[in-house]
Amino acid sequence: MAIVMARGLRKSFRVADKQPGLAGTMRHVLRRRWINLEAVRDVSFQIEAGEVVGFLGGNGAGKTTTLKLLSGLIHPSGGELAVAGHRPFRRQRAFLEAITLVMGQKQQLIWDLPPLDSLRVNAAVYGIDDLEARRRIGELAEMLELGEELTRPVRKLSLGQRMKAELLAALLHRPRVLFLDEPTLGLDVNAQARVRQFLADYNRRTGATVLLTSHYMADITALCPRVLLIHQGRLFYDGSLAELSERLAPWREVRLDLDRPVAADTLQRYGEIEQLDGAAVRLLIGREQLTTTLNQILSELPVLDLEVRDPPIEELIGRLFQQGTLDPLP
Amino acid sequence: MGRYLLSLRRFWGTSLASQLEYQLNALIELVAMGANLGGSLLVLWLFYRQGVALGGWSWNAALVVLGAYTCLNGFTSTVLQPNLSRIVTHVQEGTLDFVLLKPIDSQFWLSLRSFSPAGLPEVLLGLGLMGWAARADQGGLQPQQLLATAVVMLAAAATLYSLWFVIATTAIWFVKTWNATEVLRAALSAGRYPVSAFPATLRLLFTLALPVAFLTTVPAETLLGRGSASWILASLAVASAALVISRAFWRLALRYYTSASS
Amino acid sequence: MSWRSASTWLRRHSVLWSVQFAYMAEYRAEILLWALSGVLPFIMLAVWSAADGPGLGLGPSALGRYFLSAFVVRQFTVVWVVWQFEEDAIQGRLSPYLLQPLHPLWRYVAAHQAEQATRLPFVLLIVSGFFLLQPASFAWPGLGRLLLGILAVGLAFALNFLLQSLIACLCFWSERATALERLLMIPYLFFSGLVAPLQAFPPGLRQLALHTPFPYLIAFPAELLAGESVAAAGPFSTVNGFLSLLIWLAVLFPLLLLLWRAGVRRYGAMGA
Repeated sequence: MAIVMARGLRKSFRVADKQPGLAGTMRHVLRRRWINLEAVRDVSFQIEAGEVVGFLGGNGAGKTTTLKLLSGLIHPSGGELAVAGHRPFRRQRAFLEAITLVMGQKQQLIWDLPPLDSLRVNAAVYGIDDLEARRRIGELAEMLELGEELTRPVRKLSLGQRMKAELLAALLHRPRVLFLDEPTLGLDVNAQARVRQFLADYNRRTGATVLLTSHYMADITALCPRVLLIHQGRLFYDGSLAELSERLAPWREVRLDLDRPVAADTLQRYGEIEQLDGAAVRLLIGREQLTTTLNQILSELPVLDLEVRDPPIEELIGRLFQQGTLDPLP
Repeated sequence: MGRYLLSLRRFWGTSLASQLEYQLNALIELVAMGANLGGSLLVLWLFYRQGVALGGWSWNAALVVLGAYTCLNGFTSTVLQPNLSRIVTHVQEGTLDFVLLKPIDSQFWLSLRSFSPAGLPEVLLGLGLMGWAARADQGGLQPQQLLATAVVMLAAAATLYSLWFVIATTAIWFVKTWNATEVLRAALSAGRYPVSAFPATLRLLFTLALPVAFLTTVPAETLLGRGSASWILASLAVASAALVISRAFWRLALRYYTSASS
Repeated sequence: MSWRSASTWLRRHSVLWSVQFAYMAEYRAEILLWALSGVLPFIMLAVWSAADGPGLGLGPSALGRYFLSAFVVRQFTVVWVVWQFEEDAIQGRLSPYLLQPLHPLWRYVAAHQAEQATRLPFVLLIVSGFFLLQPASFAWPGLGRLLLGILAVGLAFALNFLLQSLIACLCFWSERATALERLLMIPYLFFSGLVAPLQAFPPGLRQLALHTPFPYLIAFPAELLAGESVAAAGPFSTVNGFLSLLIWLAVLFPLLLLLWRAGVRRYGAMGA
């Protein structure tokens, strides 16, 4: 039985519409206009226990709204939803003890006190006895590489340390489903890498299901074998990340450093020009023609250096939406 | 149940520790409390030195009312103010979501999470003033009066809590509601004086619409031996109704929050 | 000041003003509640009129006008800069403000003025309501008095703003300057004439109060607005009242500038 089951999920909001300027202000005070915003439209998917799934999409696409629907913070306007055998928005105790929510840049730890004090509060709230709590804290602290940070006031910790402490607090009660909303937001590169490593380890060790939203591609590529692509509230893709980039964008990016600048029309014979900066060129070449085209380039152009790699996924996705080559899933 | 009691102990332990990080604050609160009481006494005295008996109450009897007001003001500073102003912050910063996902009742969490011991001296001072002034007026205090007053004061605290909680809850719609708590404070400051000091229409307002009478005048009358069983029962009825309304309103607010926030 | 710099100043301030107005208009319910939270003078009016004492020298309608004027004056002189400033300091919003060619305190002045403008309709509503319920209390103060009253309200607002800004400057040194504002509130509440007209005080205490800035924040402007009969019973003379206001402004303004400069220096030294 899938641990997360969504069918025809819908959510729409009424938002006030205000025009700029003094005239707009006066109208807004006297008679407001309301628009109906559809944040999530007819989204369906299933997730099995132990999976790590990423929700991908631009800002305002509906990822956070979907996550909040799944965690029970918003109730849906339509459709069916079940998480860990419960209807999330009823927020029953058994459900709440089985899940956890972590939001980037928002914290639940007490600001003026060391994380240990917040952990003791959580232990009491979740009904974990002291001995067991201490054991779990020890385990998680080791995995997160937290030591004396636990006894320093939260306001004195760096952003990265604070995020790790937040994760510890969120996982104390051994939830079966983790909801993570932009967990690496604002963290430096090292801290981001460590958080990702921890989440992968945690999933491996405990078999917990992890649902993650992020607009950092690095999070998704490092952690999520499966992605759900959401755009304007609709689900456009549900499957593996590798397949997404393979199937839907059969190009590879070739970076050339030339001996001297070459005219654009000459270069266009080999592939689509992404960027031309004097003697540095970036071309997109179809996978099938890759080897032949590379041979041609090497023999016909004055190449100093050459690099072949997959185009950045953000660009692919941006391109997909622009070209409209992706249709919403039924 | 044990979970709730243990959580409460942990809530208040951590809250106390948080506040001891700011000792200067506690000192300022103490001075402010003293000055406030001094000012209230001054205003009362301005009436009585001219021979005006407010609402027909003697000086000592009026002090009992002021004592009840001071006690409830201390209760507000200790429990109501630190917790319920936090609700507004939670809504603004989006951290209310964390509270809603804890397996413990959200009204319990939001109402009792914090505890500011800086308000306790005011509670004790208020109770002390009530007892001292009542003894000065009556010549002695009887145990059944004390017991009845304790019951009525608890009912008053419950009513006051419900009023504050309902107002703080409106933050979910209006967000900037510290103004509303100011309206409540301003209106409740009428509780410094016995309700009979006001003209008839206001007396009605303060008994039926905004239960100021039940907060300070009724406990004072009970302690002065002037209370009747019907007023005590009315007090309890008002408190129960207020608590029920605060609960129902909270659930309404949550239904709105979980449907409208993105 | 040249014409060009004057018109730039005007334009800058009008933009600031209209943006703040839009911000305030967003929270209609809150502004109404804010106006209602000034209800204290009406409560005190109820107690004083029911008290029926001899000492005030004010008949019931004059008493009503006094407290109504006190309410109006309070609405247009209330200042909340210390809370906003403390929040901005904690959130780190001060740094960009300090880097702009406009003194940060002007932002707060504009915010206050915008809020007063949004409150005006509610205040007019409440004043009309009062006179509808008590038509006998109505007495036109005379155009001259009215204008003087409005001037006094403006000066009182400036004085109140200066007082609170002085405390706000302490935010540069301590994180909890708002607690000190609570202390200041107490003599304000009792000595400004908000809970009782000054003639209710015994002479010694009254003299003490008149040497503080507080009575000039509410009582003096209120008496001007309330009309001749109210002012005659009170301790102020128009000339002395204005003189005292101006003296307090002249004393506190340079103090504020000094304290602000010292504060900004410390802020920079601590690493904004």
